[in-house]
Amino acid sequence: MKKYGLFLGCNIAFNRPDVEVSMRKVFPAFGIELDNLDGQSCCPTWGTMPSVDLVGWCAVAARNLALGEEKGIDLITACNTCYSSLCEARHKILTDEKLYKKVNEVLSKIGKKYQGKSKCRHIAWVLYEDIGLEKIEEKLKYRLDGMRIAVQPGCHFLWPSESLTEKEEDPFNPVILRNLCEALGAKAPYYSRLIDCCGAGALKSTSPEKALKLAESKFKSIEEEVKADLIVTTCSSCMIQLDESQQKLKKIGKLKKEIPVFHYIQILAICMGFDPKKVAGICITPRDKIIRKILEEK
Amino acid sequence: MNVINLTYLREREKKEYGKRTITVIQEFGAENIAQCMQCGACSSICPLSISGFEWYNKKLIKGIELGLRDEFFDDPTPWACVACNRCSEVCPRDVNPFEVMFAMRRLMIEEFVIPPTALEALRSLYEHGHAIYVENRKARKAVGLDEKPPTTDSNEKALEELRIILKNTRLIELGLFPLK
Repeated sequence: MKKYGLFLGCNIAFNRPDVEVSMRKVFPAFGIELDNLDGQSCCPTWGTMPSVDLVGWCAVAARNLALGEEKGIDLITACNTCYSSLCEARHKILTDEKLYKKVNEVLSKIGKKYQGKSKCRHIAWVLYEDIGLEKIEEKLKYRLDGMRIAVQPGCHFLWPSESLTEKEEDPFNPVILRNLCEALGAKAPYYSRLIDCCGAGALKSTSPEKALKLAESKFKSIEEEVKADLIVTTCSSCMIQLDESQQKLKKIGKLKKEIPVFHYIQILAICMGFDPKKVAGICITPRDKIIRKILEEK
Repeated sequence: MNVINLTYLREREKKEYGKRTITVIQEFGAENIAQCMQCGACSSICPLSISGFEWYNKKLIKGIELGLRDEFFDDPTPWACVACNRCSEVCPRDVNPFEVMFAMRRLMIEEFVIPPTALEALRSLYEHGHAIYVENRKARKAVGLDEKPPTTDSNEKALEELRIILKNTRLIELGLFPLK
């Protein structure tokens, strides 16, 4: 049985634990065991150690990766920030001998080492590459036939492709998430703002107005070009930003139509028949109507 | 926005600041900054330049090359970078503008130019092992999970390990907050 270390990060653990539930339900159903990776910490995210110190960033990341390495397993995450911070730190450690030494010097103070064997994988790639679309389709209790999805892979799923564990054939025309969504029966077309930044993270905390503008232009494109019934993303930060910003835009009269937002692992969990209250129970832009529609259309 | 006086800057660059800023930035991880030819590939796709921030990647690199330093400290642009890395993906000279942005953050921190949100996240990382930390566990309980995730939040020994790591970084020199 294939086993992964479930890497939670902060947003999923505390703000959107329904995503954690989805992962804990979906992967075992495909015969993949999840290890709790006890004692894991923040990846570390961009505003913390990466902004302070290269060695410090890589050492915190390496500690997390080492927790997997000690058990001979890779990590798996549903958060793009965790994915990119861990992947980039690993890439740096493995391509810079001096850094590798310094990081392991720091780790030696807590009796750990990281050799670069364990890596972090993204849930979307594990679903797509290891499990495969056919097996996913076999497990569906409910389908999204006739529905239209606007996909949001998110920046850190795509770039820098050199450091990420797995890469799209063309990172500027990503297809993995579109294919995963179409496996559920929906249409997930290309749209002109598909790869645009959602405005989350540091951009939002520095300038909420500018961040909202980015989200607004994305919603316009989604509304006009996709006529989407739902938005599906592979990033927990994008999910929160696209969910919350719709309400902010609505308040100032700049949103035509609310569109429910899901993490891919959540919509998959719903289609596999898991309890929507548990796997997709937390949101601001309501999701209950579309969930009801999905469950009715069996 | 100030007009850049190139003659003045050239003189100053020769004397004191010029080498210093770019050298520091290189030391902080942006080793390839001098390879930039100002083609603008990075700024054409940067969320910061698109949304109207002042010192987006290409301009920041030019500013650093010209020897600016204090001029950056009044502006939050580097702290708005989402680390999306579109820039490093498209850079034809392997400059890695993302590293320049983050090296600038590492320089700004020396002057205590760090937004409260980032400082809070750092402190929270040290305190709890999580940059984003929510005391209230209603959300976890509502979806049927243990109140504490299997992280440093529920593992004292692991949290202590993480703190030892953090005490062996620049955090200890910078003194942004007490590392108890």
